[in-house]
Amino acid sequence: MTSTTTPLQAPKAVLFGAEERKAIKDPLWDNNPIAFQVLGICSSLAVTTRLDKSIVMGIGVLLVTTLSNVMISLLRKFIPNKIRIIVQLMVVSGVVIVFDQILRAYMYDLSKQLSVFVGLIITNCIVMGRLEAYAMGNPPWRSALDGIGNGLGYAWILIVVGTVREIFGSGKLLGHQIVPQALYDAGYVNNGMMVLAPGAFLLLGIIVWVQRSISGYVEK
Amino acid sequence: MNTSSNGYVLAFAVGLCVIISSALSLTAGALKETQAKAEEFDRQKNVMIAAGLLKPDEQKPRAELEQLYRDRVDERVLEIATGATGKITPDAFKKMRDVERKPYRLIAVTKDGGGKEDSWVFPISGPGLWSILYGFLALEADGQHVRGLTFYKHGETPGLGGECENPEWTARWAGKSIVDDAGKLVSITVKKGHVDPSIPREKEHMVDGLSGATITSNGITTFLKHDLQGYMPLLTKIWSKKG
Repeated sequence: MTSTTTPLQAPKAVLFGAEERKAIKDPLWDNNPIAFQVLGICSSLAVTTRLDKSIVMGIGVLLVTTLSNVMISLLRKFIPNKIRIIVQLMVVSGVVIVFDQILRAYMYDLSKQLSVFVGLIITNCIVMGRLEAYAMGNPPWRSALDGIGNGLGYAWILIVVGTVREIFGSGKLLGHQIVPQALYDAGYVNNGMMVLAPGAFLLLGIIVWVQRSISGYVEK
Repeated sequence: MNTSSNGYVLAFAVGLCVIISSALSLTAGALKETQAKAEEFDRQKNVMIAAGLLKPDEQKPRAELEQLYRDRVDERVLEIATGATGKITPDAFKKMRDVERKPYRLIAVTKDGGGKEDSWVFPISGPGLWSILYGFLALEADGQHVRGLTFYKHGETPGLGGECENPEWTARWAGKSIVDDAGKLVSITVKKGHVDPSIPREKEHMVDGLSGATITSNGITTFLKHDLQGYMPLLTKIWSKKG
């Protein structure tokens, strides 16, 4: 192996050039993985009944997209094209299993609540999508930013949905009572639909609608 | 470097497998002890939830809960055949916990503030649809009425059989009786559909089934009865003491 086999590099890019800013900003709004690409819907319906679950899940996906993006980007010139999907899958699975094991050791309750959905990050289209579409063709730093951007783009929607669902579904936020007892005494009841999947569907629909009417995107 | 030759592909795949699997086994090894502790704490918490010392969604610091467990819960070894219970030493404790469906099981007795027996917590376990369910059934001090029920470990489908840990469902077990008027063990049946409160037999000895999880529900009915039959020597003692 000699350096002559590696292609010529472009002049050193600045740390936060236009490309880098785009990598991290785009997925937050214009190209949001949930609201725009409508990926990762299954987990965002399932884990958003409570805010703490949404946050941990958001962090999980953020870590997985970032770390696997960096690893695949570092390996991108060595990965044989024939087996690239399975290589991506292995790296993703590795990161996800480590995250799951850490949750099990330090946040046992939450890990039980999230049950299969941590493991299912492996099959989350956002993760594989970024690896295939971005990390395979971009250097590590930019891929890391893209991973962070997409992870955050996923996480903020989960957090919004989780907040609304916990407040209206169980009157709490992060386990603390938010809706005062006086309101319950006056006849207020928690919205049962919010703790079930259809509640999340409606909220996601509203978010997609709002996001698209602001960003002006029209389905062609 | 030809990255599409068979040799390279094979070497790359094998290399990656070795690296990732060793990283995973290192992680798993390093976290094993912490995980075991977390699991044991979760088990203790479930004993307390079944016995009503703790509400299912109550969040308290771990140290406080561990103290509560030491103060109020007394774990004993039960010899199934005779119903004799005894204290456990740390050594025996470990041995008993590894034994399932064997001559001994570990039960817990909770005490009220004054140190009087308050409830009996029996481990229950058996097959549902996909997995073995592990849980606790807590009986009142009379050994007849259900105080509470929890399942803390299972692999049932989330949203269907997995609802067996839903506090709203387990709350429906409270107050049911495992004994009929004649003093015979009838256990508790998880009924398909809703319990009809106008039929005394259903009101006393049945709970609503889990929607979409008939096999899990039936499994619970079956292994609960089986486990309670196993506890009969002790239950008989408790009943006669009260009667």
